[in-house]
Amino acid sequence: MADKKKPVEIDFEFRERLSAVLGGNHHNYCYQCGACVAQCPAARYSDRFNPRSIMLDALLGRGDVLLGPDSPIWLCTNCYSCYERCPQDVRPIEVIVALKNMAYEDEAAPGEVTSFTQNITKTGLSGMVTPAVQKMRERLGLPELKQVPLDELLKILED
Amino acid sequence: MKVTPFYGCMIPIKYPQMEAAFKRTMPNLGVELIELEGFTCCPDPIFFKAKDVLGWLTVAARNLCVAEEAGMDIVTLCSGCTATLKEAVFLLAEDEDLKKKVNKRLAKIGKEYKGTTKVEHAVVVIRDELGIDRVRESVTRPLEGVKVAIHYGCHLLKPSQIMHVDDADYPSILEDLVDATGATPVSHEEELLCCGKGCIDDDMPLDMVYSIFSSIRDSGADCMGLICPTCFSSFDLGQIVVGRKRDTKFDIPVIYYFQLLGLAQGLSAEDVGLGLHKVKADRVLERVGAV
Repeated sequence: MADKKKPVEIDFEFRERLSAVLGGNHHNYCYQCGACVAQCPAARYSDRFNPRSIMLDALLGRGDVLLGPDSPIWLCTNCYSCYERCPQDVRPIEVIVALKNMAYEDEAAPGEVTSFTQNITKTGLSGMVTPAVQKMRERLGLPELKQVPLDELLKILED
Repeated sequence: MKVTPFYGCMIPIKYPQMEAAFKRTMPNLGVELIELEGFTCCPDPIFFKAKDVLGWLTVAARNLCVAEEAGMDIVTLCSGCTATLKEAVFLLAEDEDLKKKVNKRLAKIGKEYKGTTKVEHAVVVIRDELGIDRVRESVTRPLEGVKVAIHYGCHLLKPSQIMHVDDADYPSILEDLVDATGATPVSHEEELLCCGKGCIDDDMPLDMVYSIFSSIRDSGADCMGLICPTCFSSFDLGQIVVGRKRDTKFDIPVIYYFQLLGLAQGLSAEDVGLGLHKVKADRVLERVGAV
């Protein structure tokens, strides 16, 4: 928490960067009511995660907390309860996803994200189609899996 | 009716038994599946979206274009694919500038997203387009005496302003569909709790699995019924892992809805690939006479 004797400092540059990511700009609507917390499963199971605190840190532009190595954002279960509850259309999960995008850009994302997404950018699918997979499908009477248009996928990932 | 199935990655690669069950049960409801080529990963609404949300949206839009070009609506089998594709439809309808930005990228591969294709999870198509009575009429071996603990999973229902499937707090779609198979749907305390799969942590996802399975055990259900392969991946093995850690054994089979439906339509356990599950459904099969 902020030191009460000091004036609150806001990093507007961080907020601008967050606002530029799709979904990130909605953090500006947050009035800290806490409706997002009540049904949040991550908040129920961990003291480290609180969507209202994350939105407050976003409003203060605290990049050190949000994108640092101990950032709580990766504990989000992506359940969308906060989006469902929020009366301000903040869509807290989408702000958290925007923060994750920033962390990824800063090479501060956990290895799980990199390895999983690499599968998609290497094959167009999130899993590996091995001979064992094809055999399992054959036994179930299912057709062989074909390659997907990876070239098209890669072309549209950049402007 | 004719629809185009979007299988995603996890079902065809990791849990093809779900694809087999779907393909063997839908025709019995009067549905013709029009298969299209050219889909990629939806892409997944957790990790790929965490990497690059605009890229995620564009790849989703490309998948929608594939169906759009064929004049088909999409039926999804996985809640993750449902979440990605329906949110893409929503975002691209909400923001014209965003749609232009995405279409500029799609133009590089000769595609344009127009927004004419509808996306719904298969269970929603059954309820809204076919009617639950169609399920009841297709049943030749009612699953009488089988108590099925419902697990909704998050992405079928929330956010309701995008999904428009059911009341997110008091849903009934899965209870109604399970009831139509002749089984008894069992609501339980944690039926709306997240499976935890999206959370990157060593303990939390398993803590959630423990809560859910303790709740199901207390409910006296014979098995769990669900509609999402990601939830399945948390539960089939997860209940064994957390059971070992906490010195207990749940032994609650996790069954995809179309596998339950298949059994009710007289298919064998092999037809719907139940043998591939870690937690075996023998007691359920014995009860319905499918052994």
